[in-house]
Amino acid sequence: MMKRHSIALAFALLVSSLAWGQTYSGPRAYDGVHRNVIDGTLLGGYNVVTGWFIGESGAYTRHLTDRWSVSADEQMQLFKQVYSASVTGTYRLPLGRTNLYFDGRVLFNRYDRWNVNEPIVNLSAYWETSYVDLRLGESLVRYHKIGVKEEYRSYTTTGYTEPLVMTFGLGVNIRPRSNPWNLGLFIRNYDQFYYENWNINWGVRFHATLRPEMKLFGEFDVRPAGSISQLATRYETSLKVGLHYVL
Amino acid sequence: MSCKMRKTAFQIVLAALLAVSCNKVSPIGVLVAGTAVEDRVAMSNLFYRNHYEDKVWLLAKGDYTFLVGADSHITDDSARMDEMLSIGLEDDDLFYAHLGDIADTKAEYYVTLDSLLQEAKSRYVNKHYHKVGTEYVSNDNTDPDPVTMPFDRITYPFFPVVGNHDITRNGWALWSNIFHSSFYEIDVLVDLGDGNYAFDHLIFLDSASGTLGKTQIDLINQGVLDGKHADDTYPYRNTFVFSHTNIFRPQFFEFASTFTREETFFLLDQFEKWNVSAVFCGHTHTWDERNYNGVHHFTLDTMCERNNPEPGDYLVRMFCNADGTLEWSPVHMSTTKRK
Repeated sequence: MMKRHSIALAFALLVSSLAWGQTYSGPRAYDGVHRNVIDGTLLGGYNVVTGWFIGESGAYTRHLTDRWSVSADEQMQLFKQVYSASVTGTYRLPLGRTNLYFDGRVLFNRYDRWNVNEPIVNLSAYWETSYVDLRLGESLVRYHKIGVKEEYRSYTTTGYTEPLVMTFGLGVNIRPRSNPWNLGLFIRNYDQFYYENWNINWGVRFHATLRPEMKLFGEFDVRPAGSISQLATRYETSLKVGLHYVL
Repeated sequence: MSCKMRKTAFQIVLAALLAVSCNKVSPIGVLVAGTAVEDRVAMSNLFYRNHYEDKVWLLAKGDYTFLVGADSHITDDSARMDEMLSIGLEDDDLFYAHLGDIADTKAEYYVTLDSLLQEAKSRYVNKHYHKVGTEYVSNDNTDPDPVTMPFDRITYPFFPVVGNHDITRNGWALWSNIFHSSFYEIDVLVDLGDGNYAFDHLIFLDSASGTLGKTQIDLINQGVLDGKHADDTYPYRNTFVFSHTNIFRPQFFEFASTFTREETFFLLDQFEKWNVSAVFCGHTHTWDERNYNGVHHFTLDTMCERNNPEPGDYLVRMFCNADGTLEWSPVHMSTTKRK
């Protein structure tokens, strides 16, 4: 009986999700007019290892066609001393009245405080409906120490390639995405500039349209340590506020 | 969406925001029981500095060995734990280190563990000490007027770190009642003969929560674990670190949380500052061994009867040679799960 109820509920959610999507093209899709998108973000937070930090990130996206786009991102986190740059290629596949994006990304992180470089390749699929979005993918993460002592080099490795890291994320909104403002919750094991293995982060996100070509957006992100198999413990809390501009 | 639904949604968000202001929050925002890493480390550091700091030394002559085991998860069957302690005693290991998740959180399992350790200590004392009146003197003591000590003051060289399964529910109360401190260091003074000595250094971290936490990181940055006894004349020769949570993830299907990005890099950097020779971790129940940036990293498989019922090489023995070189070998456990 319970199983039948669950199937009926899932079907109802799916239908309502698709129904809401009838007038929706999605914030990442090309709107037919503006090929260029710029995002600028300010962030600040507290990390158990590094203490307080502030930073900025920027992104530029170019819609090559209705389906294809490329983007470049960068970030600087001061005090934490993390610097990042990435390029992403995206293909959008309309699926019913939702969008399925395929992202291929190359990310480079420099953890300057500890002399570590971290190149990452991520492939993921991102399904975006009106109320729900879901990301699944895989990352290949490598890190290596720079400035290694000369005497170590003959007998030790200074780099490590992690076994494949699964990428997963789920977001829900309280309003349909076409609404001028929205508030939602998310849970995932990655952020814009890192991919964790089984450490998840979660939080609240919002956006509000200021002008037709400009949106204010933000995220309050809680990143506990040891969250899957252990008792979740406070590790990092951060707040991001940014502007999304199309031209 | 109706006004009532919207109000409910905002209440959920508000509750989530309030929940994150607390220290112990599960991924879904539910407060969980247990003692947080900040409290554990503060208690451990205070206890250790007040009671043990200059009192626990290990003395070795020339070559010595030590034995390491992980994730015994003692429940009704404690045979593997008993076997580890027996192997260590028979083979004259200088000390035995346990990498956490020593027992599942239930009072009766800790009663079993405590009895096991008391019994093992008696066997250890009988082998390495002799009785003078009501007190004991080390068999190695050649002083004609040796210092005697009561049974309770003899240090049984079993040194554990705390694991995530040790701290669920009231686990910390049970664990700390026996072992007292989850964050500590120990020096090994090695007599090399002809008036020459060397120091080795043992560091035990509290990583049971998947993070060291702010208090522990601050104490590390302040140099609390840098060692007290070595100096320019006798610098630390080998440093060994023991942690429950592992650094390197042995395989793709590994559903245990490891350290976060920043903390991984902090620790790898700290190992270099401490000039660490080897790091021993548990937690994942999967064997891994590698050398990274001059440090040998071991992740040990579980020695628990339930997880590994068949005999196997679940322990590691480290050989610390008098010339400062290190070697290691797996150690076989023959006990099978009790039927």
